[in-house]
Amino acid sequence: MATVPAWRAARVTPLGELHAPPRMTAVLLRLTVQVVLVASLWHGLYSRTGSTAGLDEGQAVTYAVLAVLASRIRQLDQYTGRDSVIQHMHYGTIVYWYLRPLPPQRYYALRAFGEQLYGFAWALAGYTVCLAAGVVDPPESAAVAGVFAVSLLLGQLVLYYVMLILDQLCFFTIRNNSAMLILIFAQNLLSGVYAPLWFFPDWFIRLSGFLPFQATLSVPLSIYIGRIGLADAAAQLAVQAGWVVVLALFTRWVWRQAARRVISQGG
Amino acid sequence: MSLKALRIVWRITLLNIRSSMEYRTEFLLNIAIGAIWQVSVIVFATVLLSRFTGMGGWDSSEVLLIPAIRMLAHGLMVLLLGRVHFIGRQIQEGKIDVYLLRPMPVHRQVQLAYFPTNAIGDLTVATGLMAGALGRSQLDWTAGRISYLVAAVVGGMLLEAALFTAVACAALRFPAADYWSGWLEELLGTFGSYPLNVLPRAVGGLLTYGLPLAFVAYFPAAVLTGHGHDTGIPYWLAAASPLLGVLAYLGSRLLWRWSLGKYTGVNG
Amino acid sequence: MSGAIQVRGLSRTFHTTVRRPGFAGALRSLVAPERVAKHAVSDITFDVDSGELLALLGPNGAGKSTTIKMLTGILTPSSGEARVAGVVPYQDRERNARNIGAVFGQRTQLWWDLPVRESFTILRDIYEVPKAEHSARLAEFDDLLALSSFWDTRVRHLSLGQRVRCDLAAALLHDPPVVFLDEPTIGMDVVVKEQVREFLRYQVEQRGRTVLLTTHDMTEVERLAERVVLVNHGRLVLDGTLDEIRRKFGSTWQVRATLTDPHTEVVALPGIAVVRREGARVVFGPDGSAAPTVHQALKSVIERYEVTDIALDEADLEDVMRAAYIQAEAV
Repeated sequence: MATVPAWRAARVTPLGELHAPPRMTAVLLRLTVQVVLVASLWHGLYSRTGSTAGLDEGQAVTYAVLAVLASRIRQLDQYTGRDSVIQHMHYGTIVYWYLRPLPPQRYYALRAFGEQLYGFAWALAGYTVCLAAGVVDPPESAAVAGVFAVSLLLGQLVLYYVMLILDQLCFFTIRNNSAMLILIFAQNLLSGVYAPLWFFPDWFIRLSGFLPFQATLSVPLSIYIGRIGLADAAAQLAVQAGWVVVLALFTRWVWRQAARRVISQGG
Repeated sequence: MSLKALRIVWRITLLNIRSSMEYRTEFLLNIAIGAIWQVSVIVFATVLLSRFTGMGGWDSSEVLLIPAIRMLAHGLMVLLLGRVHFIGRQIQEGKIDVYLLRPMPVHRQVQLAYFPTNAIGDLTVATGLMAGALGRSQLDWTAGRISYLVAAVVGGMLLEAALFTAVACAALRFPAADYWSGWLEELLGTFGSYPLNVLPRAVGGLLTYGLPLAFVAYFPAAVLTGHGHDTGIPYWLAAASPLLGVLAYLGSRLLWRWSLGKYTGVNG
Repeated sequence: MSGAIQVRGLSRTFHTTVRRPGFAGALRSLVAPERVAKHAVSDITFDVDSGELLALLGPNGAGKSTTIKMLTGILTPSSGEARVAGVVPYQDRERNARNIGAVFGQRTQLWWDLPVRESFTILRDIYEVPKAEHSARLAEFDDLLALSSFWDTRVRHLSLGQRVRCDLAAALLHDPPVVFLDEPTIGMDVVVKEQVREFLRYQVEQRGRTVLLTTHDMTEVERLAERVVLVNHGRLVLDGTLDEIRRKFGSTWQVRATLTDPHTEVVALPGIAVVRREGARVVFGPDGSAAPTVHQALKSVIERYEVTDIALDEADLEDVMRAAYIQAEAV
């Protein structure tokens, strides 16, 4: 297998962004402002507190800034590209996904891959700048960095599947804005984008342990800042991998249901 | 607005409520979302309050007043003036062109596009939070304080509406400006609930004079709790926050009228 | 003897839930939903030969789009069978996809945020078209549709006419033998319409593609289609040539003749009646039985009488179709 067929579908997002420089400027501005604000907020909050919930100031700031950067990886304004499932259902253009000799699930995966890779480039650039400016701390050791990289990759896979489920939902109800919002919200809160999960009460942490969201961001970032030690990391990686398998099987099944629905309703 | 116009507005609103109840699961879910969303803000705020006591030199019962004002103002904004928020979609679908053909102000038609079901949840939770904040408060709630609190909520609502209206004006010209609307909401949600003096001066200044979100809840709460003299801006300016909200809103409506005059439509 | 498209007894029934009014009604619908069946397509049979352009006509909601969806493999029929280039589309969707190209009216398959040419490249990749072949075909399409003046523009900035032309090109880039077009020229100006028709004619006549077209534009039908299939209420009403349709529904032609000798005795000819006579001027029309075509009538009149001047008023296809739709409604 020399090349993945139809790999060019992965270029859609990066190309679309490159053709819209104002949008890239907007992203840069927003990312910069958000990083500065988040970093100063956490510095401010810690000014009278030494360490809480097992996190000191440096760890908390690093966590919060990395969360801002990481949430960039897949947070594009997909609506402007008119290539989200909900829009295809609305405009009736979903039929074209089923008119091509490329399975819709592969097209979707390629699109998402390109998008996540593009977002990762942004996050990496942001990380480099933040590291150089001393906003975030470097990982404690090469081993931590390595485990973090693996965990981040697994986390991105889980994130991909969570987003996929959101999109798959659109095949079944056009009016699913509220269900979408609930899922997006759960993703943001329970993945620890708003605040590290460690700050929350025990029952909350235990609850989120049963859900896939913390596997997307909270786990890799906690490994990075050392809140999850290398000794405990193996178990966490296993949980992440478990979620990847479960979600992969589940979304596969939903794809089949979605195809059945399109084929029986005609898009 | 004449009495007749008010009656029309009322009737369309009732129709909107009925049509949003057509999809009842969606309707209930929307209310739930508004509530869940705000509850999470409360959980978040209380988590931070318990973890970081004495934030910015404020007592935690005093800090609670900030998210309470902000959320009540936000809920009212969503209920009464919130449709400018998602205006990008209405613009891209060419709705503005349709509105321009009808004998009713465009701004009013934008507001009457649909009923914001989630505001019900927003307001329920916000009212609860306000009740909680007032219950814990050790302040003496004189008639003057209460009137100022009411004015602060109304002013906060108008200021937030003014910010979203300004973004909407930009969206009339560049539909992509809707992107900023999402960020604005995120900023208001994230940074609107703290005593901003925990932030470095420059950053606080940015949130005061750049994006004036400090005037929505922080300054009024500071005035109410007696921290009005150490906010970094003149006391009279902090105290005038509700008035600034009114002025900002009036200004944004002028901007809206001007932008509508320049509206050229979307292609395609 | 195999047509490029074979349709045998194709049917499709949709089931929908009736919404009852009021709160109690909504609750009842929730507990015991009442289902009704709608027969979108019932028992349709027709063939399209290789290299033929067939117009599938019918009023709105007649079942045209449903038929096309079944032939493109997007929709499974309730009963009956269809084959497109030898493939059963709804059973072997991906294999069918390589054989067909499709444009659904104003719905675009192009990527909104990218220049059109990027969309073409992605499609080339998806359909695995060799690079040289792709460029050659693109050049050919550019000649016919004048795409190069705007193919570096992003799709969101194209006019409707430009976009539909690009969509046509996109649907044919992988050289499909069979093409489905669901109202391709809807909303386009006359110049672009003509360009598109020319393009389609070229694809059928020079490239031997089979085209199944639905449209409400009768000029288009006249310019492009030899044969039409007329459906209404999901049933096939007629399958024949334009002339046959005219004969069946459009008996409204008139032949106006000015006789050399105004005193000639004028009698009815087989199938032709005298509608009016004023001195030398006679108007002939179909007598309603086995009316000849307007051309046959013209010939009979000239052969029988000496005329100084002759003219014919043909009911245009739109009138014919109106009559056909109304008559089919009454069936």
